[in-house]
Amino acid sequence: MAVPLIDNGGADAPTARPVRSRLPRKLVVGGIIILVLLILAALAPWIAPYRFDEMSLLKRLKPPSAAHWFGTDEFGRDVLSRTLMGARLSLLMGIGATLISLVIGVPLGLLAGYRRGWFDEILMRTMDVLLSFPPIMLGLLILAVTQPALWKAVVAIGIVYVPPIVRITRSVTLDLANEEFIQAAHVRGDTTRYILFSEILPNAWPPIAVEGSLRITFAILLGAALSFVGMGAQPPSSDWGLMVSEARPFVDSAPWIALAPGLAMCLTVIGINLLGDGLREALDPRLRTQRGA
Amino acid sequence: MVTYVAQRLLAIAFILFVMSVLIFGITQVMPGNVAYMIAGQFATPDVVAAIEAKLGLHDPIYVQYWRWASGVLRGDLGQSLIMERPVAPLIQEAMARSAMLAGVSFICVAVLGITLGVVAAVRKDSPTDNAISVFTYLGISVPEFFWGIVLILVFARYLNWLPSGGIGDPAFGLPVDPKYLILPAITLTFALIAHVSRLTRSSMLEAMRSNYVRFARAKGLAESLVVRRHALRNALLPTITVLAIDIGFLIGGIVVVETVFSYPGLGRLLLFAIERHDLPLIQASILIIATIYCTANLVADILYAYFNPKIRYGRPAH
Amino acid sequence: MHWFSRSIVAGMLLAAPTWSNSAIAQGTLRVAFGSSLNTLDPAKTKIGEEYIQNFLIYSGVTEIDRDGKLKPDLAESWTASDDVKTWTFKLRKGVKFHHGREVDAEDVKATIERVIDKATGSVARVNFEIIDKIEVLDPQTIKFTLKIPYAGFAEILSDRQARVVPRDKLDTIGQEPIGTGPFKFKSYKPGDRVELVKNPDYYVPGTPKLDAITFRIMPESAAQVTALETGEVDLVWNLPLESIERFQKNANVTVDSVATSTWDGVIMNAAHKPYDDVRVRRAIALALDKKALVEAALYGHGSVTHTMISPTHPYYNKDLATTGPDIAGAKKLLAEAGYPDGFKTTIFVPSGRPPRERVGITVKELLKPVGIDVDVQRVPWDKFVKDIEGKEALYVDGFFSRPTIDTSIYPWYHSKGSWNTVLWNYKNDAMDKVLDAARGAKSDEERAKLYKEFQVLAVNEPAGVVPYVLNHVNAFRKNVKAFQSSPMMWLDLRQTTVQ
Repeated sequence: MAVPLIDNGGADAPTARPVRSRLPRKLVVGGIIILVLLILAALAPWIAPYRFDEMSLLKRLKPPSAAHWFGTDEFGRDVLSRTLMGARLSLLMGIGATLISLVIGVPLGLLAGYRRGWFDEILMRTMDVLLSFPPIMLGLLILAVTQPALWKAVVAIGIVYVPPIVRITRSVTLDLANEEFIQAAHVRGDTTRYILFSEILPNAWPPIAVEGSLRITFAILLGAALSFVGMGAQPPSSDWGLMVSEARPFVDSAPWIALAPGLAMCLTVIGINLLGDGLREALDPRLRTQRGA
Repeated sequence: MVTYVAQRLLAIAFILFVMSVLIFGITQVMPGNVAYMIAGQFATPDVVAAIEAKLGLHDPIYVQYWRWASGVLRGDLGQSLIMERPVAPLIQEAMARSAMLAGVSFICVAVLGITLGVVAAVRKDSPTDNAISVFTYLGISVPEFFWGIVLILVFARYLNWLPSGGIGDPAFGLPVDPKYLILPAITLTFALIAHVSRLTRSSMLEAMRSNYVRFARAKGLAESLVVRRHALRNALLPTITVLAIDIGFLIGGIVVVETVFSYPGLGRLLLFAIERHDLPLIQASILIIATIYCTANLVADILYAYFNPKIRYGRPAH
Repeated sequence: MHWFSRSIVAGMLLAAPTWSNSAIAQGTLRVAFGSSLNTLDPAKTKIGEEYIQNFLIYSGVTEIDRDGKLKPDLAESWTASDDVKTWTFKLRKGVKFHHGREVDAEDVKATIERVIDKATGSVARVNFEIIDKIEVLDPQTIKFTLKIPYAGFAEILSDRQARVVPRDKLDTIGQEPIGTGPFKFKSYKPGDRVELVKNPDYYVPGTPKLDAITFRIMPESAAQVTALETGEVDLVWNLPLESIERFQKNANVTVDSVATSTWDGVIMNAAHKPYDDVRVRRAIALALDKKALVEAALYGHGSVTHTMISPTHPYYNKDLATTGPDIAGAKKLLAEAGYPDGFKTTIFVPSGRPPRERVGITVKELLKPVGIDVDVQRVPWDKFVKDIEGKEALYVDGFFSRPTIDTSIYPWYHSKGSWNTVLWNYKNDAMDKVLDAARGAKSDEERAKLYKEFQVLAVNEPAGVVPYVLNHVNAFRKNVKAFQSSPMMWLDLRQTTVQ
């Protein structure tokens, strides 16, 4: 049975449901949190009351007050400003690493799922090898050989998350490749590139998007963990993981230094998780209706 | 079933080989090599060269690889360049401590996760269900190192109930004094409980909706019997898969948790080695950790295959 | 008895040893320190925690006591030729290594040769390069012939890396440390602990008094503090300065602070403009408030000084006034040098060494009034060693106490000193003359006079600014008796007991 190529909200399909009018609550709440965070992160250099590296030993280790909403750290830097700037770093890390893994992983997965053959075999074996490392180990392995830096951590995390992206892209492609419209395109003589990117990808993106949103969360957490152990962002950067690590000697005399970035991290990850879950809920019914009854 | 296991073993062997080459290759690329670290601040080029020669770092790369790989197969993991002692005992000790932590955490995750999942499924949509959901959600959303620090602050500093790190004075031949395991294990468990409980919950719900359960209920069996004997058994299959995946997260989380609690396990050893550019120690640590990870996945696959009739009994004739 | 109650009783009996939270055996001292040891081989040791083991497991040919005086250790006496180029040491008889063999002059020769060997990679190598020849005259006598006259040779032999090792155990010395010291090595678990036990054959009778020492490795300063408060450890070595206040009111804990000659300094590299002009360097020296630096960087636990010669040292020049802060004077000098409005500069500090980071930040604030705009850059330690030391123009660096006055000063201030070219490229002929003369000085008064002159030169024509020498702080519980902190930052535990 022919499946419509154009998605018109499922109006053509026999069991269409009015999806748009009833977005899941999770999606909304998650979306709001993330939107607020993105705005704060984008505007951070302008709304932060102090510079993130403005040090003054006279004002060190001061508890939260009107002048410093989250107090100051051991060098007298304003914790709130550093947390805001840290938002940019964490979000950049998460999104950057995920983009890298998508840019590398999606084309590979598409090609493997469509073409099969020896390319598929070799690729999957390679992915298996990479997946045999726990993510943080692979990240540490890549970073161990070089002077740690934030951008290197982003690249390492991107590489670490290529295998899951490849897998999901490939499996979706495998399903789609058997569809008649794809076979028709092949018979028609369309180039592989056209088929992959203009026929398969537009139909394959929902599960990839869901996986991608999941990856952003993991990338942020992995990035924070790497910075925490000293293999990611370096001082005086105000990456959240690094802030928590530097706050450890003062955790009982000045707990606010660790609390601000910690809470910010929680909020961010909860927001993205909600968004991802909501996305999955919103997209799933649509997938079902696209397939027909 | 046997062919399946054999296939998987072969795949693992191949993967381990490629992994070892990968690990060795990447670490050889390291700038700022270990000779530099040993020489310290007075590292003039001839001092560095003298140390390098003594350590055999001038041999061609495949010779070095072969030396290392053949040693590993014999059980000799090389000599730590900085500490000048064999790597194998260091790793063994660290592994025992990490294994104890991981083992305890894994049991907690499995038991608590499954229990919470079952409870949540049985009391679907009740306040209990929501509470469990929120609780587990927090677990996966908050980074382990933050939780760990909060736990230390509360239980070790303010309340003084538990120690804030280390392994204490081990007794009874155990690698660790059990008191020192509590906080790190709680941290690890909390981070992983969500996957298990959520999956248990959803597969329980599916199982409870299924025909044979409805039949059991129709027969008039007590609800608890229905839950325990029929639904749970079948719901556990996907849970095994998730538990296996969790081993991976567990191993990953161990690096961070060991840092937070200054717990001298395999994760800390690896970071120690990286800081000092101690090649043999880095190579051996990562290889061992990755091997454990692979093995855990293999065991999970085999267990899954065992419980899954389709694989266990092979393909049907038609 | 019912099997149930029997097993309960058995369980309780088994658990009994773990009930007592205190020392495992009577007379075991539990110490906490912050870093895992890289090596137990004295020649290769580089960090404070390793130096502690050098002192306890090994002995030196000579020893510096806690008042800074030179004492015999393995050598019972020594003589120097008139030109202080030839030194002959007579070793004690009957001192045994921990594996039973008697120590002799061949062991000393092997130890020193090893330190000089480039492949060993010892940081003390440069100190011993002045040795021309080592001869063993008989099992108890060893003769050193030096390339230059050097009055402080006996003191160099007391240094950390020169502790005597057995020549038949050199291959395994890193794993199985065997020495002649008051304590024998029992075990080392990296990341966890070091265990030492009493050497019953230690040549000083009646010592050591302790049965055993356990060193617990606790990288987190907060964990060390908690462990001391709860009694999990008896002594914390090198207590982090920010934790000292906590213990001031604690009746169970004594905080023992001692001045050392470990110093931090603002390094001005004369190979870079504008620091090639001595007036600029002196201007900065005048602008800096040394007391404020001690307060900011060390929370007050240090002593203001002219140079790395500590104020408690007999050679300290009391007649010299402490420099700074003198903003007007600084501005005048800067104007003379051609910078009436100051200039912009960057100061590099190593991250992971908090006192030096704090020095850098305070310098920024202190130099603002004279118009010098300082940008503080933090660099990770191994990058710092590779790219900053000796290469950049302005940075903060620091060095551990050395056993002798000469080894504390010469490498830095003499134009041919081993540290000079990797630090600040200081060239001053008057300074060279004074330091060379001091090396060959025969009497104590002569040396004192020359070193006081050195301090005057160092202040008037500064190489860099040495604002303070650090205090070394240990904290211990009241059950620890007869313990005193040492200016060399190691632990002399021979007389100590624990209740």
